[in-house]
Amino acid sequence: MTDVPEEGQQRRTFFKIGMAAIGGLIGLAMAIPLVGFAISPAFRKASKKWVDLGIADLLKGSRYKKINYTFSAKDGWVETNKRRSVYVTDQGDGTFQVYSRVCSHLGCLVRWDEGKDQFFCPCHGAVFDSAGNVVAGPPPRPMDKLPVKVEDGILYVKES
Amino acid sequence: MNSRISAFLADRLPLKNVENHIKKPLPKHINWLFSLGSMAAFLLILQAVTGAFLAFYYSPSPDHAYDAVNYISKEVLFGGFVRGLHHWGASVLVIVVFLHLLRVVAYASYKPPREMTWVTGVLMLLIVLGFGFTGYLLPWDQKAYWATVVGVKIAGTAPVIGDFVAKVLRGGEEVGAVTLTRFYALHTIWLPWLAFGLIAVHLFFVRYYGSAGTPKNTPEDMRSGKPFYPDQLFEDAVAILILFIVLASMAIFVPVPLEELADPTDASYDPRPEWYFLFLFQLLKYFEGPLEVVGTFVIPTVGFVLLLFLPFLDRKEERTSLLKRPVALTVTCLSVVLIMLLTILGAIAPRLEPVPEQPPAAEQTAPSQETPEKAEEEAVFDFGLD
Ligand code: HEM
Ligand code: FES
Repeated sequence: MTDVPEEGQQRRTFFKIGMAAIGGLIGLAMAIPLVGFAISPAFRKASKKWVDLGIADLLKGSRYKKINYTFSAKDGWVETNKRRSVYVTDQGDGTFQVYSRVCSHLGCLVRWDEGKDQFFCPCHGAVFDSAGNVVAGPPPRPMDKLPVKVEDGILYVKES
Repeated sequence: MNSRISAFLADRLPLKNVENHIKKPLPKHINWLFSLGSMAAFLLILQAVTGAFLAFYYSPSPDHAYDAVNYISKEVLFGGFVRGLHHWGASVLVIVVFLHLLRVVAYASYKPPREMTWVTGVLMLLIVLGFGFTGYLLPWDQKAYWATVVGVKIAGTAPVIGDFVAKVLRGGEEVGAVTLTRFYALHTIWLPWLAFGLIAVHLFFVRYYGSAGTPKNTPEDMRSGKPFYPDQLFEDAVAILILFIVLASMAIFVPVPLEELADPTDASYDPRPEWYFLFLFQLLKYFEGPLEVVGTFVIPTVGFVLLLFLPFLDRKEERTSLLKRPVALTVTCLSVVLIMLLTILGAIAPRLEPVPEQPPAAEQTAPSQETPEKAEEEAVFDFGLD
């Protein structure tokens, strides 16, 4: 192969560069759309909406009352009923505090312990006080409180 | 750095042999028609890649499939492009494979010792069509549903085993959830493995026997053409780039159809298969009543078997250009013209005037009330032996 004439050598080099260029071009023209396609859900922002929890009067005097609610929302291409669980507390001044039961650590469901006046998470042993502050365990922040409003006597939360 | 890596690899792998092998000169007179095989291979890989990405969002269930496909087209970033590449890529692949076959016929490249290359090639053509048939159902729209209903019924007209084959294909008595999951499994798992396995064998034969070149080649010509690498591969790459640009433009500018959701009760729908099955669809219009099986089964099967065993039927070993083989030329031209004619006739055949639907009240509902009871009495498994 060493005694290939100069001109042949140049042709071969041109072919090799040409092939690499074509490969790179097609590769890039495919890689960008395909990566975008695959990671596309990460760019969708979740649309949050107000969900009706019940008649405010019936919840009067509630203390860490567990409420499971259902709302209809889009899950990918399906319209499904999503289920959520919260604790509702009447703050006495006509307003409500609604705690999400989703642990602020890694997402297990916390439980309210009436006797101890605390929330417990079964997963990694987190303890929150009645105001949702971390007392023990790994969670990085207090429990999430959902936005609340009462309108026409109905209690609404903004689902998380 | 680069040279240290190559030295490391060269110490451990027979790179020199590989290099010598791919630098072997090809026969002279290799033209662009010899790139059709590489173009088919490229398209098949492209189908595999785009398909693997589409599978991120697809859901093979009659309740979800249609919405999922719609979601891909409308809501996923580049969804229309990726689906377009896969959809139009399938059609282009069929064309390219067919042209590749014609070039092999034109240069009589299937003659000894390349019979097995030919046979694996024809099997691949069958697989490519299998991809088309199973993939057509997946969007679960009207055309998907009805083309599958009809397509499977056609398989069902085969003598003796037809009914059984139809039930196996459908996974039951009618096209439904079980059909969709099995078509999905065939389309995304079984056929790809088969296809890539066969390609490996096909390409092994191609390399092992070496390119047959054109019939023009004298024995001296056979080893004095340009080397496969980089010269021929570069030409293949250029052909592939042009193909890719055409296909990508189609994917960008031609929207992929999605009809209404499949409706098994819609009698006004006039089912049509994908265009590359139109010739078969048109063929059966010419055979009615007891002769129907000729159009649905006998001609396609005989045609396929003749194609599969062509190298063993055409026994003359000497390779000459198609123009100097009157019988082969006539048969080839007739087949191509006939297939094209039937395709065109199928395409322009007038669609049914939509028949106004009868009001639901007038519809016969009584028999459907009877069936559940009757069905209960029957055994769960019906081997169809009666
Ligand atoms: C997905 C389908 C297919 C792929 C990816 C494929 C790929 C290839 C490639 C890369 C080559 C070498 C380059 C060339 O001659 O074009 C080749 C050669 C060949 N193919 Fe295919 N092929 C396919 C289908 C077919 C079909 C349907 C047939 C015939 C019925 C066929 C018969 C042959 C023969 C006989 C050769 C050897 C030609 C020669 O040595 O000159 N192939 N194929
Ligand atoms: S998830 Fe609740 S403590 Fe870890």
